[in-house]
Amino acid sequence: MTADGVYVYAITRAGTALPEGQGGVGSPPARLRSVRQGRLAAVISDAPPDLRARRRDLLAHQDLLMRLMDEGPVLPMRFGMVAPGEDAVLRQLAADESGHAAALKRLAGCHEINLKALAAEDALADVVAEDGTVRRLRDAARRRPGYEASLRLGEAVAAALARRASDAGRRVLRELTPRARAVAAGPEVQGCALNVSFLVERDAGDAFLAEAHRFASANRGHVELRLAGPLPCYSFVAAEARPVPVGGG
Amino acid sequence: MTATTYSDEVVACPPRAGTLYDVLELILDRGMVIDVFIRVSLVGIEILKIDARIVVASVDTYLRFAEACNRLDLERDSGSTTVPELIGGGAAKSIGKRKVRRAAESVGDTVRKAVGGDDDEEPEERPKKRRAPARGSESRRRRVEA
Repeated sequence: MTADGVYVYAITRAGTALPEGQGGVGSPPARLRSVRQGRLAAVISDAPPDLRARRRDLLAHQDLLMRLMDEGPVLPMRFGMVAPGEDAVLRQLAADESGHAAALKRLAGCHEINLKALAAEDALADVVAEDGTVRRLRDAARRRPGYEASLRLGEAVAAALARRASDAGRRVLRELTPRARAVAAGPEVQGCALNVSFLVERDAGDAFLAEAHRFASANRGHVELRLAGPLPCYSFVAAEARPVPVGGG
Repeated sequence: MTATTYSDEVVACPPRAGTLYDVLELILDRGMVIDVFIRVSLVGIEILKIDARIVVASVDTYLRFAEACNRLDLERDSGSTTVPELIGGGAAKSIGKRKVRRAAESVGDTVRKAVGGDDDEEPEERPKKRRAPARGSESRRRRVEA
């Protein structure tokens, strides 16, 4: 135990092996250890002094969770959770042992896939062709060029692009939801019409991604889809689901 | 206004969690929180999150350039080509990714200023590097890999 406390990476089932050769946050990478309480274990290390959200440390956190997932279900902690000491970690495990065990059971055999929908900015030609307002403003701007006209045209184009992305986002959400065990809204990210995570069974992951790619290709003029996964189940550690807002529409 | 098509830009879908940028908000904003644990030293995480996003985006941009550079048939000896040169040079244009290029323009300053970038270098190493200007491009490349 150190003065800086204990960094907590994840809660796993007791007996889950630590991945070999994997270090934790800090430089040099902190040595990982597992502390056990009943049916549960917590993967921890000494917290490095001056801990911040560095790229290196974010990757260490993420990589460890990815590798732990190969060993069994994982409750990923949010980046940067530090307990005062090992005792505090053990007390927390004991305090909600059945809750954590139930969550691990719920996530067993699943991973998270994140989908972001952004406006397809190279769809300008389509927008001009399809959107009456944009066409009208474009003609106006050509007849009477100027700051005001450009501003209005640009605003209309941005709105049209966002609307196309939101519409496509709603459709892809509808298509993919039946393939997932659960769906959760992601945090708002600037520029994203949709940020959503799916809880997908491991065996169904490839089919899910293939379906998403198929949709992305078919709708490339409407939306840019960015897929990330398989990921640790960051968005599904809580039992209750979050409604998924589709922005910009 | 010219309508330009960048056919290679759409649907950049890394099948695995390749880019940290795309999952940053999940790592920082989702995942389990236990109230009695504290997020030590992460005071101002909300601001930090934005800064980290910028830095991570920049570094990922570098990495993407580096990867694209490996695929390119460069006339120059690749060993003498640093990533910043590529961004300013022809490679950026031939890659043709508008957004990436736009992000790359602001990279230099941001990486140095914002959180995480500079900190990955140990402070005690800095004077040594300054005394060895010939290794300038080397240290730049190391930051890219950090």
